[in-house]
Parts: sequence; C-alpha cells; structure tokens
Amino acid sequence: MNSSVLTWTSLLWALALAGAVCISAALLLLYALLQSHKSQVPKWRPKNGPIHLLVVLGSGGHTAEMFSMLRRMKLDPTKYTYRTYIVSSGDKFSAKKAVEFETTYLTQDAASANAKKPVSTSGSYSIVTVPRARRVHQSYFTAPFSTLNSFWSCLLVLRGIHPDQGPVHSRPMQSPHPDIILTNGPATAVCVVLAARLLRLWHALNAVFGFKSKSDRNAISPDDFRLRTIFVESWARVTTLSLSGKLLLPFADRFLVQWPDLAGRKAWTGMRETEYVGTLVD
Amino acid sequence: MATQDQLMKLCFVTVGATASFNLLIQSILEQSFLRELRAHGYTHLLIQYGQDGKPLFDEFLRQYPPGSEGHHGLLIDGFDFNPDGLSYEMRLAKAWSSEGRVGGLIISHAGSGSIMDALRLGVPLVVVPNPTLKDNHQQELADILQEQGYLIAGQYWDLTTSLDRAEHLRVKMAHWPPISKDQQTSQPSLDQVMCDELGFLD
Repeated sequence: MNSSVLTWTSLLWALALAGAVCISAALLLLYALLQSHKSQVPKWRPKNGPIHLLVVLGSGGHTAEMFSMLRRMKLDPTKYTYRTYIVSSGDKFSAKKAVEFETTYLTQDAASANAKKPVSTSGSYSIVTVPRARRVHQSYFTAPFSTLNSFWSCLLVLRGIHPDQGPVHSRPMQSPHPDIILTNGPATAVCVVLAARLLRLWHALNAVFGFKSKSDRNAISPDDFRLRTIFVESWARVTTLSLSGKLLLPFADRFLVQWPDLAGRKAWTGMRETEYVGTLVD
Repeated sequence: MATQDQLMKLCFVTVGATASFNLLIQSILEQSFLRELRAHGYTHLLIQYGQDGKPLFDEFLRQYPPGSEGHHGLLIDGFDFNPDGLSYEMRLAKAWSSEGRVGGLIISHAGSGSIMDALRLGVPLVVVPNPTLKDNHQQELADILQEQGYLIAGQYWDLTTSLDRAEHLRVKMAHWPPISKDQQTSQPSLDQVMCDELGFLD
C-alpha cells in the first residue's frame, strides 16, 4: 500500500517535470521567435556580392501575380545573381512561366540595359519540383504523410542538395542556402518558410553550443543571416488573410499586404505587424 | 466605303482555366444579351468557355446554326482554353485602327491573373465573380477595383446593364498600373524591403 503510493507520487513528479521541460522549451522557442521578429538584420553584406533569390510559385493566379511583381520591381539579374524557383509537382504552367520569365524578360532587360553584352541567364537559375502537400481529392488520412514528404523536399532545396538543383559546385554561391525567400502564398510556401525557420534555428543552436562543421568555419558570412523570408499576401486578398498567410504570420520575417484593411495585423502582442505597401502587381 | 458597321468590335468572354463557370456562359448565350450586344455595336463575340463549357456552346450552335436569326448578326466563336495564355484573344478587344478594330469589351471571371492581363491592355473590363466557388473572396477584389474606377463588377444574371456601364467606363478609365511609388510616400517598394532583409553594408 505504502509503496504503491510512492510509485504514484514519483510518477506524478516525473510527469510534472516532463511537462515543465516541454513548457519551458516551448516558451524558449516562442521567445526566440519573438526576438527574431523584433530584431533587424545586421548590416553585414558587402554591396555587389552575389545574391541567391528563392521564389515559391503556386497555381495559376499566384504565379501570375508573382511574375507581375517581379516585372514591376524590375528584378535585376546582375544583383540577384542566382534564382531558384520552387514549383509543385504537376504544375506545368508555373514551370513554363518561370522559363519564359528567365529566357525572355530577364535576357531582354539585361540586353537593353547593357547593349554591348547581351546576357544569357542559362546557368544562373534552376527550377525545382517538390511534391504537393495535398493533392485535390486526396484523403485526409494520408495528407499528413504527403505534407511531411513535401516539407522534407523543401528542406533539401534550402540546403542546396535537391536532385533538381544539380551539383553544388555548378552554382556560383558561397553558401548552399538561398539569401532571400519570396512568396505570395501558395500552400507550398508554408513548408518552405517553416523549413527556413528550422534551418535558422539549427544554425543559431550551433552557434550557441559551438558545434560547427568544417564548411561553417570556412564560410565568410554567418548562415543565420541568410534564409530571410518575405511573404506577400495575394493581391486578391482585400479584407481577409489567406490560410497560408494566417499560418505564416508569426514566422515570415516580413509580411507585406497590398490593401489597407489588412495592415497592422499580427500573430500576437509584441510580434511584427503586417505592412501595407500598396499594389505591387502591374 | 469604310463605314462604322464594317469595323470590328469584339466582346471577349473568359472563364479561366481552373474552375468552370457555366452560369456565365449560359447568360452570355441568352438571346436577350446577344440582342443587346448587337444594339451596342458589337460585331464579334469570342468565348473561352473552359473544360466544362463545351456542351453548352455546342447546344447553342445546334439550336441556332451560324448565320441564323439567333446570332443577331454577330460572329460567334468559342474555344475551351489556350495553354499559352489569352493575351492574343484579349488584344482583339483593343482598338487598332490599322486592323479595322474599335475598342471592345472583356467579360472575365474574377481571377487575379485574368484581371491583371485585361487591365494592362486598357480595355473596358466587366468582372463577374463566380458564386459557386467556396471561400469567395473574389467579390471583394471586384468591388474595390470598381470603387477605384478600374473596372465594372458585374453579376452573371444582370449582364445587359454592364454593357451600358462599360461604355461609360471606356470614356474615363483609371490608369493601370497605379502610379509608381515615389520617395514621398512612406510605403517601401518590394525591392527596398528585400534589400532591408539582405542587410547590405552602407
């Protein structure tokens, strides 16, 4: 009788301890998220250095809006020297639009800016296909597994070792990670942004605990300043955030909205607010 | 003897590639709407009816063979979709005097890609939200763009009034895209936001 009371008490203590550890870990993660939301990027990058831009494309409207924004901002291929486009499996439209943008718009633009040297963009971009998180009509029982599969694929892309990216040495970048990630909210964007945060957390933990791989020690610039994420809410969203937007509100480094009603939203107190920037499409 | 009647005035209707919108196709092919089109000086009607719209269009042609009274003197044609995009078809609605075309009209579903394409051309645009879509935020986009003077937010059951309003819009359309942001506004451009995040040295 006495001993059984003892076991119950110790079990309770163990549970309480485990609970406390879990809660403090969650609080620590929240605190880290809050801090990273409040902090600015340090000025560390020399001008005219190579920049790797990663663009997440989605179905019809998202992709059309993305290229419309890139055209309007006059994306400069001599500044954003390497570009990776993520498309979902089966989305031929987006892959085609990406090739079209690279081979007609960017080459034309570079040629007109610098008439003596028409620039070819081949070799300075890649199009990577990741599996869909959930196909239309797919059962909800298998959806978690396909989402994990999609997430894993996005992690490979961000680490530069996805098979569609070709060998690392063929790319002119110091780091396998993209410098900046731009998305306007297809479902894949959720996986990509969360994968970027996970990698940054990994780098931050490495820095704290001092586990550094050889490549990290040789790198000139710290990898935790890369993988910055910019989420642009779709132009089609006037008064309500999209599901991807709601999910990514606490995670994206910058959250831009194109209509005034969506300005100033935040995940919770102390977090960074959405920024109203007006119409970005053309 | 080039008269006004010989100039082409085209109305292009598009339902997009993703979802079907047969309610719109049905209203377009109604006798009352075709009569109004003719009354507003249109000569051509081109319909992108999507994957599920073909039976409706074929049924119309069976009922009213080309050249019959039911076409009201309009040249009517249709296709399911164009994998290369619709910029060619949309341009047919733009005024082009050397090719004998006066400014026509685009009637579109409320997808953002189609709306941007049409606005860039500067052709009067009637946007018809699809009420059968779930989570319908399309109506909001159509309404706010109408408020700003870029287009006409129509309803599939009331297209004839949109024809009148399109003629008004033709005279005083707002310029697209919205004026580029200058230094005076506090709104940063996309490139500025990206540069912030990249952390360039001063």
